[in-house]
Amino acid sequence: MNLSPHQPQDDTVLQSPCDGQPEDDDLSESKEFTEHISQMMFVSGETGEPSPETTTLIEQIVQQQVQEMLRECTALATRRGSRSISTDDLMMLIRHDKAKVSRLRHFLQWKDVRKNLKDQEDSGKGGGAEVPDLGGDDIPGVGATGQGESAKKVSKRAKVDLPWDVQSYYSEQVPARDDEEDEEEEEMNYATLQRLKMADERTKDMTREEYVHWSDCRQASFTFRKGKRFREWAGFGIITESKPNDDIIDILGFLTFEIVQTLTEEALKSQTRKRKREGGLFDPPEEAREPVQPSHVREAYRRLQQSSNKSKAMSAFSRAMQRKALKFI
Amino acid sequence: MAQPVATTRGDAIGEEDPRYTEFKDNFARSEARLAALFDPRRSIQAPSRPDEDKREAHGEVNAVEVSQPTIAPPRKAARTIDEDDYGDDDEEEDEDLGTASPLQSKGAGAARIVNGTTPQGLLVPSLPKRPSNDRRSTASSTEQLKSPGDMRKKLEEDKKAAEDAARKSFHTLFYTLESDRDAMLEQQKLDDLDRQVESEMLGQPTSNTSAATVAGPQQGTLSSANLGASSLTLKHLIARIDAKRHMVNASDAQLRNLMSEVRKNRSKWASEDKVNQEELYESCEKVLMELKAMTEHAAPFLQRVNKREAPDYYNVIKHPMDIGTMLKKLKQLQYKSKKEFVDDLNLIWANCLKYNVDPQHFLRKKALYMRKETEKLVPLIPELVVRDRAEVEAEERRMQNGDLEGVEDSDDEEPIMASRGRKAPAKKGKKPSSTARKAPGARLEGTPGAESKPPLPSIRGSTSTLNNEFFRADSDAPMEGSQNGLATPPPGTLTPLGRHGIFSSGAHGSQADVSEIDATGESVSGVTTSQAEDLDLDDIEYRTWKQVTKKDRATVAAERNRLFRNNRLNAEEPALLRTKAGMRRWLRQRNQATEEGKAEGPAPAKDGREGVQSTRGETLAEGIEKEEERNLPDYYDPLSAIPDLDDRLKWVEDADGQVIYQAEEFLRMVPKGQFTAPESVLTRKMDANMRQMQETRKVCAKIGIVKQMQLQSQTYQNQFQKYEPQPFREADVEPLVISDEGPIMSQWVCRAALQRSVGKIFYHAGFEEFQPSALDAITDIAGTFFKNLVQTLGVYSAMPKIKTEQATPISEKAALKPRFTAEEAILHSLHENGVDLEALESYVKDDVDRLGSKLSVMHDRMRSHLAELLRPALNADAGTDGVGAFNDGSEQFVGGDFAEDIDEDFFGFKELGLDKEFGLASLSVPFHLLQNRMHNAYRAQNTSATETSGVIFEPPPPYEPVTIENVSSQIGLVQPFFLRKLHANGDLPLIEDEELPPKQRFPRPRLPPSGKITSPRKRPQKELQQMAKKKRKLDDGTAKDDSATPNVGKLKPIGKLRLEMPQKEGSQPEPEKDDGSAVGMISPESISAAA
Repeated sequence: MNLSPHQPQDDTVLQSPCDGQPEDDDLSESKEFTEHISQMMFVSGETGEPSPETTTLIEQIVQQQVQEMLRECTALATRRGSRSISTDDLMMLIRHDKAKVSRLRHFLQWKDVRKNLKDQEDSGKGGGAEVPDLGGDDIPGVGATGQGESAKKVSKRAKVDLPWDVQSYYSEQVPARDDEEDEEEEEMNYATLQRLKMADERTKDMTREEYVHWSDCRQASFTFRKGKRFREWAGFGIITESKPNDDIIDILGFLTFEIVQTLTEEALKSQTRKRKREGGLFDPPEEAREPVQPSHVREAYRRLQQSSNKSKAMSAFSRAMQRKALKFI
Repeated sequence: MAQPVATTRGDAIGEEDPRYTEFKDNFARSEARLAALFDPRRSIQAPSRPDEDKREAHGEVNAVEVSQPTIAPPRKAARTIDEDDYGDDDEEEDEDLGTASPLQSKGAGAARIVNGTTPQGLLVPSLPKRPSNDRRSTASSTEQLKSPGDMRKKLEEDKKAAEDAARKSFHTLFYTLESDRDAMLEQQKLDDLDRQVESEMLGQPTSNTSAATVAGPQQGTLSSANLGASSLTLKHLIARIDAKRHMVNASDAQLRNLMSEVRKNRSKWASEDKVNQEELYESCEKVLMELKAMTEHAAPFLQRVNKREAPDYYNVIKHPMDIGTMLKKLKQLQYKSKKEFVDDLNLIWANCLKYNVDPQHFLRKKALYMRKETEKLVPLIPELVVRDRAEVEAEERRMQNGDLEGVEDSDDEEPIMASRGRKAPAKKGKKPSSTARKAPGARLEGTPGAESKPPLPSIRGSTSTLNNEFFRADSDAPMEGSQNGLATPPPGTLTPLGRHGIFSSGAHGSQADVSEIDATGESVSGVTTSQAEDLDLDDIEYRTWKQVTKKDRATVAAERNRLFRNNRLNAEEPALLRTKAGMRRWLRQRNQATEEGKAEGPAPAKDGREGVQSTRGETLAEGIEKEEERNLPDYYDPLSAIPDLDDRLKWVEDADGQVIYQAEEFLRMVPKGQFTAPESVLTRKMDANMRQMQETRKVCAKIGIVKQMQLQSQTYQNQFQKYEPQPFREADVEPLVISDEGPIMSQWVCRAALQRSVGKIFYHAGFEEFQPSALDAITDIAGTFFKNLVQTLGVYSAMPKIKTEQATPISEKAALKPRFTAEEAILHSLHENGVDLEALESYVKDDVDRLGSKLSVMHDRMRSHLAELLRPALNADAGTDGVGAFNDGSEQFVGGDFAEDIDEDFFGFKELGLDKEFGLASLSVPFHLLQNRMHNAYRAQNTSATETSGVIFEPPPPYEPVTIENVSSQIGLVQPFFLRKLHANGDLPLIEDEELPPKQRFPRPRLPPSGKITSPRKRPQKELQQMAKKKRKLDDGTAKDDSATPNVGKLKPIGKLRLEMPQKEGSQPEPEKDDGSAVGMISPESISAAA
């Protein structure tokens, strides 16, 4: 559900999960993840049907990443003197990827908005009056902004503050004034718009049915409605305490989707690079082309794991062997 | 100067030989000059003798003519040296001086050698056609022609010259240390030998002492012991020691040794009773030591031949001899004359040659070598015979009759081999000119020398006649006394006479002995054999070097060996300390080296400095520590090395002893701002950000105080820390003077500066304070990072140059240019370290620029929040001083219409319908009118302002307490009540309710948080207290004011109402409602709850 937080149809989705999604935790285990992964891949641009090997590989990678994140978070929390991890710890892990951070904040804001809205709806009118028509919304992002504005009016959108932001400089917290312009928001929007543009590109030529399928696939998530299973899978209770708060699970869901998306895009890139080299007159048509293979995924993973010069800078001119930490995708 | 060579020829017997010597000397000199020609470095060091020119004029020398002209220039300098050493102005005086010419030339040769050319033995390389053996052997064969004293001197000087040459090579050649171990082992062998001899000597009572104490056989008195001349100077001491002999815990021998050590100028051989012993033995010992020290060759001869090694040795050799035995014999004073000693010496070599018949045998070579050396050294031993003093004195007495005395006393030159203690008359032999000057007079005296005993004759032989060189001055052979009569020593010296005149006979004798004993019949002078068997393949220079430095090298190697025992550093060894003496030596050696370098090079560049430097000298605490002389190059003593000092830093004095101030030339002030951040847009921005943060924090602190006050019913002055940030100021280093170019390489200062910058960045990142350890850690990391960065930059800028595309046609070589331009190098190294320009740019944009705008937004936010807290009514349109708040014509300040903002009906006015009744829009109370609170906050912030407030409204005097005395002045009605209370209080003055401890106080009426008074309060239980209070109120008639605040006037009703409410309740139903200043009714609690 949370893949595109700005999506207008989220509320609907929440209430009526699509058919392909297993609703319960107790459904078959690894299958569901692979299925979701293939859906995510589809959303990320993979048109073909990826092989189980590919999805399994991706799942392993994602699992490794998530577990490593939890480990790091726990370490950070321990350093803070806390036993339970907080959202700030997760934010801390991805702090260098500013675009991702802003997406995440955006996501969290909207999650908040949605919750408030839902509360209001539940208590008050109790209807999905504002929910727009799904099918008519070609470009989800555009709809999202419009929807967002209306939501903002209903309840102030809570800002998600980062612990290293200016607010934390001071001992007193003061409410933000409405008239203030948030520059970062613009940036956030920029990053979001980029994503949306890509999604638009992908969906441009889709038929109505295809688009419905595509939207369904956008609901794919590691965490939605299978919290327990995800917790086991990610190692809650082993790596860290077993009762994470909802936000953390949501953030992880968001991040896992991002991982799959990044991997898929990178794998596609490496695949096209190869194809281009051997490109010729008798290339198979676009639709018939092979889905990404595990090798492509591995290559993508390798590229994403390449350490930057920055991480090597401190060990230059010394003979100390550098421990290669896992890089978060 | 003019050498009467002709007269030399005129001399009958000695003619041939002196001339031959002369030729030889000339040859040696010219050869040296030839060598100098080929080696320009030495040309200056080989001064030519003036008399050489003379001789050249005579055409007696063949080779000289070739080289002479080139050498002419330096003559002048050499001349002065000559004059220093010999009084040549005397030379014309006597025809006897004929002998002086060879002597002098000899001396000249010696002088030349001393001056640095290779000594005779070392001349081989320059002229291989004439091997050194040849010349040496000729020298030895002709040595009897010369005066023995000169011979000895010459040999001595040869040796010194060799040492000097070796020492000189310290500066020019580097010898590896590989032979050190051998040297050490050999030296150890020698030491073992010494010890062995010593122990054998100790085994038997020294014959020395027994011989010495002949006169006073009874042990125990020192005065009778052998103390030589010292007994005169030290006689009181000795007498004293003798008197207290029983208290001295030392044996006679020990005491004697002590004594002889105390008397520095006496040798251990000195003996009162033995004439000549000191001189003879000293020189003998020297020779023996010299031979022993040639360890390379002497090793096999150090000890007696072991029977196990050579079973038949003692069959072949009947009279075994070795150096060890000789040492022993020497110490036991068994030698009576030079001859005995030399015979023994030659016996060693002869034995060897005899036993090892095989000409290829390696020991033969060694023996031959040693014999050669012996021949060189033997002339050093004076021809003396040890005799009993009694005998000599008897002779002297006989002689004194017609003696001429006291002539020679003035001679103060020290003989080389002579005893140090005594003024040996024979010294004169070495100073031919001076003796020659006196000779005529002596001659005239016509000494009755016939009486003189055998040892006397040869003393003046060298100067008086040439004949004496052929004298066989054996101890028992009487000589021509008439000639030698002059030589009688002055009686005061008590020294025996005969000295060295006859040494040549000794040499002859030894030669004869050798030829006799040697089975192979090789004579010493047999050039061919010695050449054939000359085995030493070493470079001659190297050999000399080894020879000269052997002992010291051995010492050093032994020290090293001790230090690194078992291939590891021995922790038990004493620490290596640098000594002043060592450093002094090092300096001296370096100076020598530089002198030489200067001499060889062209004229020194800066003459102005030269004089200055020479005055410097060795100031390194000279004489404070004892000097230990070592013949080693300075690389053997790295401990003493002194780093080069910049000339400018040297302590230099000018001629007047004033210190030359050289500071202006090189000292400079460190420019300001080296350790502060340079002024730039970035720093300005960062500073502005930091200032902004401080301002915001100030506001923040105020907000905190206000919030705290709202929560707390009581506030204390010290509860709130005043936030007074100091502006940032970067301190530069103190004014500093440095002497070098370039940046200041002071690690600590630089680190501190970096640390400050890091701290600044910390603050800029929002950390108001931080732990020093964190700061340290980040500073270290930053330092490492920058080091890496610079190192990378170094790598890039040190890349090999590449050729430019178009090579210039003129020069064949293509022009080179650096591989990277400076910009490229910097970009590359930045990239290598994970920094790119975008990152830097985005840092400035995001973390500095945007932070600034964020901060200002935050500041505004904080300020408005504070304003809201303080003056809710004061919106933005109220204006700076709040005047604008009235613009809307509202009744806010009149009616207290402020609570509306917070939707609070403080006092239930709304509920009561008062608003409608009064036509007021709202009945809330403005927050800022609660002066009490505000004032407290204000006081907490500005403590100084508090005092001024008291002056304006002086508090009324406190009530007089009710006491027994003044109770009668109260109203009669209450007097019994007060009396009762006073009794209960023990007749003490009553205490006011206000001053009671808080717990005993009468509970104040409380209002519910809503401010609504729903029901009349019950009468409090403590009736009496109420009564008392009421009384007091009635008495005073004025409201009590316990508030000290300046604005209290408005609040006065509060206190009154508060206190009196319970009583007035009945008569005034809900008075507060129509009270104009209903404000007073709010309790603090209600306000904070509302807020």
